[in-house]
Amino acid sequence: MAESITTYDKNADAAEVSKKLRAARVKRENRQGLRKHLFLGIFALFMLYPLLWMLASSLKPENEIFGRLSIWPSEFIWSNYTEGWMRLQVSFTQFYSNSALVTILSVIGNLISCSFAAYAFARLTFSWSKFWFALMMMTLMIPYHVVLIPQYVMFLKLGWIDTYLPLVVPRFLASDAFFIFLMVQFFRQLPRELDEAASIDGCSPYKIYWAIIMPLSMPAMATAGIFSFIWVWEDFLAPLIYLNDIQNYTVPLALRLFVAEDSQSAYGQMFAMSILSLVPVLLFFVIFQKLIIKGIAMSGLK
Amino acid sequence: MKKFNRRKILKGMAIGTGGVAASSMFGTSAFAADERIRHFWWGNPSRDERTYKVIDLFKGANAGVEVSGETVGWGDYWTKMATQTAGKNMADLVQMDYRFLFEYVRRGALLPLDDYFNNTLFLDDFDKSAISGGIVDGKLYALNIGSNSQVCIYNTAMVEAAGAEFDPINWSHKDQMAVAQKISESTPDGVHGVDDATLDNVMWEVWSRQSGKPFYGPEGTVDGTVADLEKFWEHWAEMRASGAAPDAEHSVGKLGSKMAESGVVTQETAMSYMWSNQIVGVQSLSKDIIGAAMHPHMDGGDPGQFIKPSMFMALTRDSKNPELAVQYMNAWVNDAEATAVLGLERGIPASSKVRDALAPNFSDAEKVSVDYFNAIQTKVGTLSPPPPKGAGETQDAYVRVATNVILGNTSIKDGATAFIDEANSIIDRAS
Amino acid sequence: MRKFLAKNAPGYVFLSPWLIGFLFLALGPILVSLYLSFTKYDMIGDPRWVGLSQYEYMFTKDKRFWKSLQVTFTYVILAVPARLAFALMIAMVLDKGIRAIGIYRALYYLPSILGASIAIAILWRQIFNIDGVVNAFLSMFGIQGPNWIANPDTSLYTLVVLAMWQFGSPMLIFLAGLRGISPELYEAAEIDAASKPRQFFAITLPLLAPVIFFNIILQTIEAFKTFSSAFIISNGDGSPADSLLFFTIYLFNEAFKFFRMGYASALAWTLLVIIGAFTALSFFASKYWVHYENEKD
Repeated sequence: MAESITTYDKNADAAEVSKKLRAARVKRENRQGLRKHLFLGIFALFMLYPLLWMLASSLKPENEIFGRLSIWPSEFIWSNYTEGWMRLQVSFTQFYSNSALVTILSVIGNLISCSFAAYAFARLTFSWSKFWFALMMMTLMIPYHVVLIPQYVMFLKLGWIDTYLPLVVPRFLASDAFFIFLMVQFFRQLPRELDEAASIDGCSPYKIYWAIIMPLSMPAMATAGIFSFIWVWEDFLAPLIYLNDIQNYTVPLALRLFVAEDSQSAYGQMFAMSILSLVPVLLFFVIFQKLIIKGIAMSGLK
Repeated sequence: MKKFNRRKILKGMAIGTGGVAASSMFGTSAFAADERIRHFWWGNPSRDERTYKVIDLFKGANAGVEVSGETVGWGDYWTKMATQTAGKNMADLVQMDYRFLFEYVRRGALLPLDDYFNNTLFLDDFDKSAISGGIVDGKLYALNIGSNSQVCIYNTAMVEAAGAEFDPINWSHKDQMAVAQKISESTPDGVHGVDDATLDNVMWEVWSRQSGKPFYGPEGTVDGTVADLEKFWEHWAEMRASGAAPDAEHSVGKLGSKMAESGVVTQETAMSYMWSNQIVGVQSLSKDIIGAAMHPHMDGGDPGQFIKPSMFMALTRDSKNPELAVQYMNAWVNDAEATAVLGLERGIPASSKVRDALAPNFSDAEKVSVDYFNAIQTKVGTLSPPPPKGAGETQDAYVRVATNVILGNTSIKDGATAFIDEANSIIDRAS
Repeated sequence: MRKFLAKNAPGYVFLSPWLIGFLFLALGPILVSLYLSFTKYDMIGDPRWVGLSQYEYMFTKDKRFWKSLQVTFTYVILAVPARLAFALMIAMVLDKGIRAIGIYRALYYLPSILGASIAIAILWRQIFNIDGVVNAFLSMFGIQGPNWIANPDTSLYTLVVLAMWQFGSPMLIFLAGLRGISPELYEAAEIDAASKPRQFFAITLPLLAPVIFFNIILQTIEAFKTFSSAFIISNGDGSPADSLLFFTIYLFNEAFKFFRMGYASALAWTLLVIIGAFTALSFFASKYWVHYENEKD
């Protein structure tokens, strides 16, 4: 009895101390907060400059973009946006829907297939696993340009040229080892006892993947989701090689049609459309980065 | 005066052979359904718009024919082209550049057009010199879809304000130096008379021709000499020292810049070197009126400039329907409607008939461009012999060495020797 | 046999999408590129077997090969640590709860979103121009800077700065890693009155080790393979005077500009061996400093 009371008291003390500590920390953090905001804010200006510059350029008359003039446009050419949208043979509505299709399918494909492979590498034992892992890492290291031609020939033989299949199918087959390795590193950080306990309770590896690993890996999955969205959305080399008909072009490919090295370009319109092409990326980023923060609630499980 | 003569001659040619060219390629429809050809070009927004219009015209006139228009920018074009070539999946028709034509022809990627001559492809109204640019090893591999020549563009307002005068067709390097110096003096700091040509491979080629030796000889050897290169670089070092041209770092900073960044457009320089089909583009970016002059001549030297096709259209070995492809090609250069849509955008049309038809509708800048083109006809030299394999690489090497020379990291003497040596070893390795 | 299956089946089931993709889509092209490295191949005709001569030329005669190695190694050594340190620092500041953190995160990620677009090429040239923003700033201290990009002695540093400025992706990964560290650990440390640096070395660093390891490996591989940013800023050919001749820029030009796909493949496999050696070394070394939760017992 006496013992249990002391224990209780001890706990109470600890709780009290912890409470005080937290209060002190909050105070200190508020004080520091202002300084932090100042620092972060000034720093953010450096980060923001290119966007402001692009925004300004998207509203400038064509011959002002390259001069040594101020960032402020002498007159605002809003028509860069409206005319830019319709300038090319096919309107940007089409390019956006093409890009959206490719990107959404690719993100889904990446998340599913890469998390599968990562789960195998990080949590399951099977023979030759080290060998396959090394090969997977190797695919990260090879310069893309030398496999471009054999890959093109392969997709040509499959009859996939000028379709989205060469862009999407590999993503369902975990072609991007970056994400596998990323997820492996995160999965390996989860306590082993979780799967062991579940396995004793009769959970299959499939159930463990879905019911334990996935929910606990939201920060990693959200990070992978953000990256794959951005990278696929901005990818330009693969669409350049595999898409022929302008009707099938994605947004980054279309953006490059505005600019010619040796003749008249349409820079204002290019900048205007570039600004618009950032909107989906930023939206996706803002939504998904919330999931990274949510990680903290989950980690309470540990 | 010259212009008038030129016109007359061209007209004479047109009458003499007139009427042979298939009157309207769009009028007949000899093709069964789902015949399809692909046309691949590098472009810009205006070029793409015009080209798609021509495709629509062609499809409208030939029911059941499908033409797939494929376009990307210049920088991306050659990567995609090489990939498709390797996959044996080239478009039926590709746009070709003079620099790459020989590489593709000699490696067997293009088909000669001689068999189609005068049955599908009619070139009676073409200037003979314009056709010859596409002939490799005795066969016609590529069709001229626009001609151009080197040009020295200048901002007329800046020249006038400086009180400088010169004859844009007949002037020497010395004249140019005087004009450029005058402009540099009369303008604020940081604004100069003329862009430095030290890093400009085309200018070096012109200089070499003026000195009596085209850079590549007829056998594909490097004929340009160390001595001439030294003289060329020394001339421009003098231009910099005299203030006529901007400092070295400025010029290196402009390497690979786009048209909109070029000195004449940003008004950092009053004169610069370009190709004549770019005049219209530069004018559209400039507030002041742009004039066109020839490259300055060398006292007692040969003609340096030459007229060459600015672009070609070529038939590839992967074409599944060469007959239809050539028919499309023919419409491109002969059909009244199609050529009207295309205008001068890709260069001056090689057909005199087409030029005459376009003439009444020229804009001011187009007039400058055409007048210039007509005026230089008798002043230019013949086209240099086709460059050997590896010529593209030599151009890169030139810029590399010249950068070190202009920045003073290498002496003019050492640089000139180094470049000629490197050019020789590049050509050796490529052949 | 059944035992073997029971032991291996789940692993291979989960691995199967990758395995199928690897065997049917990736492996073939990789092997072809290896084969091409022993040939002369201009992409228009057929490849011609030349044995080891491409490699021989590379190591004995090709000065630009060595130049490109030098540029690439310098870049890797400068850019990777700078970028990672920067990313980790910002991630730690952004990890702690302050208001409007989401906005900062988006702002700091912004430069990375712009990637290697044409816009960045133009912007970078303007910033580092002789009369650009950087020199305007330096002139406040009485320093007259050069035209940074046009000067072969300084051009590489502008790319290092660009790499630092686009620190978004390692930052985000660090952030996700920091989220995985339980706040209770820090609270316990506060009770023990452990100083901030001590907390960093005793808690943050060890628990973040797997993520740090990931970032080091991936950033180094990416840096060795740097292409897009160098391509747009060097006009695609390593200008000025080869000072931006990154390995992949050289490789790309050899392949697609000069029609030497065989030689380019040999270059690629040489790079692969270099990166592979580095990665293997890092994995070996990681045994001493990276510990995973699932190895602890």
